[in-house]
Amino acid sequence: MNIKEFLSLMESRGAKVFPAPSARDITLANNALQSRRCAMFPAIFTDLYKSASAINLGNGYIFGPIECVRGTRFPIPSIVEINMDMSGIDALRGKTVFGRNDLFWFAFDAFGTFYMLDTLTLRVLRKYDDPYRAMSDCLIAGRF
Amino acid sequence: MQMNKSVAEKRIADLGMDDLPLVQIRPENHPISPDWFKKYHDLVHDFAASLTDSIQELAFMNLPQDDFMDLIMGRRMPENLSIRLRIPLVWGGKLEIDNMFLCMTFPHSYNMDRFIIEQSGNDAIWMPNPAKKVYLPAHMMNGGDGGNATSDRLSQLAAQISSSRGME
Repeated sequence: MNIKEFLSLMESRGAKVFPAPSARDITLANNALQSRRCAMFPAIFTDLYKSASAINLGNGYIFGPIECVRGTRFPIPSIVEINMDMSGIDALRGKTVFGRNDLFWFAFDAFGTFYMLDTLTLRVLRKYDDPYRAMSDCLIAGRF
Repeated sequence: MQMNKSVAEKRIADLGMDDLPLVQIRPENHPISPDWFKKYHDLVHDFAASLTDSIQELAFMNLPQDDFMDLIMGRRMPENLSIRLRIPLVWGGKLEIDNMFLCMTFPHSYNMDRFIIEQSGNDAIWMPNPAKKVYLPAHMMNGGDGGNATSDRLSQLAAQISSSRGME
């Protein structure tokens, strides 16, 4: 699978894909994460953000490098904002939260391993070697 | 750090939900049935369809009419709405409508997650426990711009749906 196929698959299931941010926004977000000792974007996220910012399917969200405005509804926070809010939590040391749904949080680390986390304690529930699988689980589990 | 009631109330107020009732529970792990996800998924639809009795609260969310209809018909979850469990399954909560409530994903459900995560490892955890099936902070209940999703209009739609389901 590649980014284009992933986005196409998610859109076919009803996901809303927000417009891609600028290259500068991606760089600034990556630097902001690094300065907060979070994991920097793995290559797949740098590629993803060239085609999309946040992705939303039901209550499943993959956060973008910038806040995504959506009319009168509360905006989708950026990945930087989410990780600033979560900074200082031991269970997230070295990880970056990239998505959530009503049941789970999702994160990656600096080694390119992706995780499903318990929303109550951030305990690791599942490890993924395949980032597409992690991103799909994040969105699909949010579908009504 | 273990929170007492006033500290917990202060924290939840800092997170923008000063009128959210809290309940303290002991986070003791309970076994979960292997088919919980399927049951949860089915129950979410049942919960959504049961919201015809919460029209006043839903009206304050200013949902467009299509979103409102899709929600109470159990067809689709409108953007930025979340269904939460009052007591999580792993801590002994039951898969029942009474154990669920609806709220906005951002900022409220997200901030409730943060509130719970911050208590991780404590012997007792304060959990959000709104009085009704729909939670919206009082400061956001300032009405909307009317349009086609006003309270009266939504009440009328809900009554028609209840009637067609034989609930009256």
